[in-house]
Amino acid sequence: MRASLPSPDGRRVPRALHPLAWWFWALCLAVAADRTSNPLLLLLILAVLGFVLVRRRTTAPWARAFKYYLALALVVIVLRLAFRMVFGSGATPADHVLFRLPHIPMPSWYSGISLGGPVSLEALLSAAVDGLRLATLLCCIGAANALANPRRALRLLPGALYELGVAAVVSITVAPQLVESVQRVGRARRLRAGRAKGLRALRAIAIPVLEDAFERSLHLAAAMDSRGYGRTGRATGRSRRLTGALLLLGLLGLCAGAYGLLDGSAPRFLGVPAIGVGAACCVGGVVLGGRRVSRSHYRPDPWRLPEWLVAGCALAGVVLIYATTSYDAAGLTPSLYPLAFPPLPVLPTVAILLAATAAFTAPPPPQPSVRPRPQRVDGDPARTLTAATR
Amino acid sequence: MSRPGLRPVTAIRLPARSVAALCVATVIGLVCFLWPFVLPPNRFGTSYTPPLMFGVLLLLVVAVVFAGIAEGGIDSKALAMLGVLSAVNAGLRPLGAGTAGIETELFVLVLAGRVFGPGFGFALGCTSLFASAIITGGVGPWMPYQMFGCALVGLFAGLLPRCRGRAEIALLMAYGAFAGYAYGFLLNLQFWPFAVDPGSSLSYHPGASFAQQWHRYLLFDGATSLGWDTGRAVTNLVVIGLVGPAMLATFRRAARRAAFEAPATFEPALSAAPVDRRGPAPG
Repeated sequence: MRASLPSPDGRRVPRALHPLAWWFWALCLAVAADRTSNPLLLLLILAVLGFVLVRRRTTAPWARAFKYYLALALVVIVLRLAFRMVFGSGATPADHVLFRLPHIPMPSWYSGISLGGPVSLEALLSAAVDGLRLATLLCCIGAANALANPRRALRLLPGALYELGVAAVVSITVAPQLVESVQRVGRARRLRAGRAKGLRALRAIAIPVLEDAFERSLHLAAAMDSRGYGRTGRATGRSRRLTGALLLLGLLGLCAGAYGLLDGSAPRFLGVPAIGVGAACCVGGVVLGGRRVSRSHYRPDPWRLPEWLVAGCALAGVVLIYATTSYDAAGLTPSLYPLAFPPLPVLPTVAILLAATAAFTAPPPPQPSVRPRPQRVDGDPARTLTAATR
Repeated sequence: MSRPGLRPVTAIRLPARSVAALCVATVIGLVCFLWPFVLPPNRFGTSYTPPLMFGVLLLLVVAVVFAGIAEGGIDSKALAMLGVLSAVNAGLRPLGAGTAGIETELFVLVLAGRVFGPGFGFALGCTSLFASAIITGGVGPWMPYQMFGCALVGLFAGLLPRCRGRAEIALLMAYGAFAGYAYGFLLNLQFWPFAVDPGSSLSYHPGASFAQQWHRYLLFDGATSLGWDTGRAVTNLVVIGLVGPAMLATFRRAARRAAFEAPATFEPALSAAPVDRRGPAPG
């Protein structure tokens, strides 16, 4: 707690917020975006995302991912508009027709599909607003990706998925070495006057790089073995059998549940209840399977006041929005008939601005340290592995 | 001893329980992809519930199957190879995305699944997409779908019939092309229900009959992504044809060196026998 409060001179100690807090915050905003089709509110959510990102993101590589999400969001909106224009299903007499695309009659086996025809302002607006909502959802996920440190989030994986996390950590560590390996092979080729380009050069580069990668993986495996990888934590033979049985039972429950959902004539208990029981079994199996590995935590991420504030404000915003849906539905989902400028309802605006407080309640991100990058290829692989998880 | 490399390798053992779990999981996973065609109308109150529910379901299924495989034991060599090959795949993926029409995410999976067996193929599909999402900041609701799609590609590559030489390369090329199309077909299904404006005539229409739904989807798939899928299929075909033989040899060599199925025997220590001073054998 002490580390996160303002120190006497008013400056706060920089530290990374818990990754789960950022994900919770972003998902709350996504839920809020899902509840409304008011373009003003959606734009406000986007503005909040941008504001918090500018104030609290780091210079880490994953923090640069947000611009790709923005580009993807634009593509979504444009695609929606284009599809509505080309494959639109006509206009009602009350619509304001903007222009007409040539209507192309379809052969009979294309029944139900219309190409071209009148394009109305209402149709375009509804497509744009729907696209904007989807784009906002995408940007919420992008913001979570940019703000939360994925490597620290990896340690939140349940113990049963430990190997998945380790494989991810290995590949994060090895990826820069592979780039270096590609450059090295290319240099060696140039020294031997290998001038082939394009597909023909593929084999000459790919095979040495792959050999290199396999060599490295065997070294790494030896290093892991010598450091006690594969110790079977607190799992006994009985608990392992129980784990396996729970996992299989859970999957069978899910299967029965899916069947019950899809077959309308199936008894009612086969639907959602069976899925619930199956999911419970699966979760139980995964938790029990986690006993197999015992992990110690190096510098665990704390959950302190800023985390509570960020998550709590976002949750309060969602609750406020849900509360408004019952009496101010028109403000959240304004109608396009008749056409009018959308209103800006007060309560949802306050709710979204509540989430924006994360820009102040979250501690400032840590400054980029000038720690030397682990880049020696033939160094101790296990040491670079532990360095990557820090 | 048979010629080295002729025997199929099993880098990750699949005990009977895991095989059963995989079979059930494949069925549920396919349902999670194909629900728009088979979900009866009015089963759910809102149109937003099914994608969300099936997405969560698929996440659970992927987690459970991976946990089951890990429970059976992934030894350190297999795990290190999973990590390194995931890095190769994660490096190849953005390479393809930048160049129009070249989609490079599948061919390593096909070759690795072929050499190291179905269990490894499945696990590699999961880990490579997971690692790629972590590295590029692409974690999102689409991740379980991509993981499961890739895992299936790797799994079935491991289950292809045994053959050698040119026939094997031809088989893998054909499978790679097929996988390119099938992967695109399944992955598009995942965002089709909500990516297209419901007012357009290509969109998912809750409650429409199977034939209508299928018709709409085929047109949507053809209009939006047939080009990409063709690019992926052709990339797989060409790359496997060009580098396939050399890469298979590299993979087999690595598998032989790793000696995945080296039998470990424990013999009772004889008190009369002289003490072995060399210490325990490595590995």
